[in-house]
Amino acid sequence: MGEKQSGKKIGIGLLAFAVVLLVLFGCWKVFSSQEKNEKGEKEYTLVVKDDNGKEKKYHSNTDAEYLREALEELEKAEDFTLEGSESDYGLYIEKVNGVEASFDKDGAYWAVYVNGEYGQYGIDQQPVADGDEFKLVYEKNTEK
Amino acid sequence: MAMNLNWYMKRIRKNKFSKKLDVREIAYLGMMTATLEGAKIALSFLPNIELVSFFIILYAVCFGKKVLYAVFTFVGIECMVWGMGVWVFMYLYIWPLLCLLALQFKRQKSAILWAVFSGIFGLTFGALCSLIYLGIGGPKMAFTWWIAGIPYDIIHGLSNFVLMLILYHPVSHILQKIKMYGINE
Repeated sequence: MGEKQSGKKIGIGLLAFAVVLLVLFGCWKVFSSQEKNEKGEKEYTLVVKDDNGKEKKYHSNTDAEYLREALEELEKAEDFTLEGSESDYGLYIEKVNGVEASFDKDGAYWAVYVNGEYGQYGIDQQPVADGDEFKLVYEKNTEK
Repeated sequence: MAMNLNWYMKRIRKNKFSKKLDVREIAYLGMMTATLEGAKIALSFLPNIELVSFFIILYAVCFGKKVLYAVFTFVGIECMVWGMGVWVFMYLYIWPLLCLLALQFKRQKSAILWAVFSGIFGLTFGALCSLIYLGIGGPKMAFTWWIAGIPYDIIHGLSNFVLMLILYHPVSHILQKIKMYGINE
């Protein structure tokens, strides 16, 4: 009798475990795809290489057409900050994650790389495509 | 053996309702804290596979609510090892909660049922942790945080289940032997 009851308890326990597991998996399947759609259709990666050569990688989704908007979204979602001054070509990046690059002081600037190539546009004109990898690299102009 | 049993019975009568810790109990609680921290660090390279849940459950079942001292000390040591973060506040309610829940089922001796208990705790770990984000960023933030971590919760639940199933009988047998000389509930 006792063994029968114990067997029943074990059966109920295992069933409860399986149910929780399935519910959890279902929630993840349903809501994680919704979250992705809410975030945006295009996936991109951003790598920030600071003045010490230390790299920080971000992975995000966006619907933004240009990089600036995507980075502004990233500022709200992640531990990422971007500061600069407005120019005729859009935002001139001066500080990334609090690290300042001053061209006037020591020839330092924040370079933009797109999929490994040196960027041809400022962040206001740089288009964002699905799977793009952007890099913001602290560089110095050593030419005098 | 008979002498040990008499000595143990005397200790029970003397300390059953005592909230104070004696030197022996403090030493045992120190060892429990050390095993919790050791187990945590030993498996820290594996994502969400841990033995802390396992030990807290077994310690609570064998030694009763005084194990809460070891649990809070473990959280304090974790702060010293890893620094302060939001997770500290999570740990301050999650591990004591596990301890208190385990105490509710302490008469249970089935390894499978304890595996189910530990497994469900692992599966709900993310949901319990996300409660803290209700206060920080509201329900949406808490929900998003929980959903993003579900794959890790599944790993956590399954690994808790398997570890408890394998280790319950050998470790609880050893702990029952230690209990003869140590902590009164």
